[in-house]
Amino acid sequence: MKRVLAIAWKEWRQTIDTPMGYVVGVAFLLASGFFFGNTLFLVGQADMQSFFHVLPMLFMFFIPALTMRLLAEERHSGTFELLATLPVRQVEIVAGKYLAVLLQLMLMLALTLVYPASLSLLGNVDGGAVAAAYAGALLLAGTYAAICLFASSLTRNAVVAYVLGFGMLLFFFLIGQASPEFSSAMQDWLTLVNPVSRYQSMLRGVLSLGDVVFMLMLALAFAGLTTFQLERRKWS
Amino acid sequence: MAVGDLSFHVRKGEVMGLLGPNGAGKSTTMMMLTGYLPPSSGAATVAGIPLDDTLGIRRKIGYLPENAPSYADLDVHSHLRFIGRMHGLPAATLNDRLASVAGLCGLRDVLYRRIDELSKGYRQRVGLAASMLHDPACLILDEPTTGLDPNQIIEVRQLIRRIGEHKTVLLSSHVLSEVQAACDRIMIIDQGRLRALGTPAELAGQMRGGAVLRLRLKGDAEAVSRRLQAMLPEVSIRPAGADQADVLILQHADPEAPLAESAFRAAVEAESVILEMVPEAATLEDVFRRMTGGQA
Repeated sequence: MKRVLAIAWKEWRQTIDTPMGYVVGVAFLLASGFFFGNTLFLVGQADMQSFFHVLPMLFMFFIPALTMRLLAEERHSGTFELLATLPVRQVEIVAGKYLAVLLQLMLMLALTLVYPASLSLLGNVDGGAVAAAYAGALLLAGTYAAICLFASSLTRNAVVAYVLGFGMLLFFFLIGQASPEFSSAMQDWLTLVNPVSRYQSMLRGVLSLGDVVFMLMLALAFAGLTTFQLERRKWS
Repeated sequence: MAVGDLSFHVRKGEVMGLLGPNGAGKSTTMMMLTGYLPPSSGAATVAGIPLDDTLGIRRKIGYLPENAPSYADLDVHSHLRFIGRMHGLPAATLNDRLASVAGLCGLRDVLYRRIDELSKGYRQRVGLAASMLHDPACLILDEPTTGLDPNQIIEVRQLIRRIGEHKTVLLSSHVLSEVQAACDRIMIIDQGRLRALGTPAELAGQMRGGAVLRLRLKGDAEAVSRRLQAMLPEVSIRPAGADQADVLILQHADPEAPLAESAFRAAVEAESVILEMVPEAATLEDVFRRMTGGQA
């Protein structure tokens, strides 16, 4: 566990010592602020719905940017050889890196709390619904981060890692968009396996155990795949 | 296959040099010893620990990979702290060790500079400092002096010598003078196979099987070498260099061969004058070139 924390600390230092973390963070806040302000000022509706609905799409653009260098860059710059010859298990490497993105995502989501806070000055905000939606957003973000971390383990090139991660997330996004076109049996099945539709059910204020477990399992599966991918290097 | 049929033993408290041309399998050998790359067959123990227990080995060794990769975004202090924490050093020990290796490697002045701002020489020293931060029993250094200027090379060499007084060191290089200066024993590998193993003096001695004579002539060097060849059919004669047609290197497999007498008589017959006649001791370089298929 100490080593997991050490890796998370190192990633955190690398994020705050380089402009990358700030650029992504600020861009995310600007984009999410735009969608929030849009409904508030132009539509004149004081709610969080449009913000939460647009989040999966924002995540699709921003999360691959946060994760793309995590493993690809280590391999590219040769530091992976240094890291892998320290007394640390591959799973600890993955856990440390994942923890670092998760903390960053939590911080980014925490900064958006000014939106519900400012809404509560204007009128009644359904605190429970907002809390459930935030929990869902965090789960979705965590799942996306695991997927994109896996993308980063597939290549030595950070840009390729971004595109791969974006592509995988786009896939989920598109099947969500296209699901009305499918047969109803197919639709049910797609809703079941798509983290975006799981998230959307949480937006309705229903935090079901099934949805939470599904997201956690999906994140865990991709973290496992990432660890496997790092181990695999030894046998190829 | 990069490495095959390679077997060696590094004694405790010894600096062993792993020498070979580029692509000989030096790095591969080191990666296998550090557990980074599992061998397809064969076995090894590092500090008494079998290769299967890579985690155990990684606790015992300090490894400097080729080109000394470090986290370029971090400053030297943060980088070393990270390495120390990964080795599980408690905070107090870590601070002491960090201060001591920073002093040993001459990093005190750059401790809070970002690594990507440092010169290649400093980066190499950061890598070296990181490899010995946890006071490992055994150091594995892959080309520790590449990219350094001559002064830094001498510094790092002395540093390795000093470390080698207490620890087992395996270092690789393709620079002869380096291993000659820093190592107790040397092994020469080529195409993944062991070609020679011994102290620098022993290896040079292996070459002394023959006699070598360096000859500088005034007159017709061509005629002299023709007559010499006739007198001693087994002698091999070659000019010392393309621009030095008047300097000949004579080589004979038998150390007792009358090279000097024959050269003198050949020169007299060809009416040439010998300006210089020097018996040459075989250097490690000759061993290296002979072992690795270069021209002797």
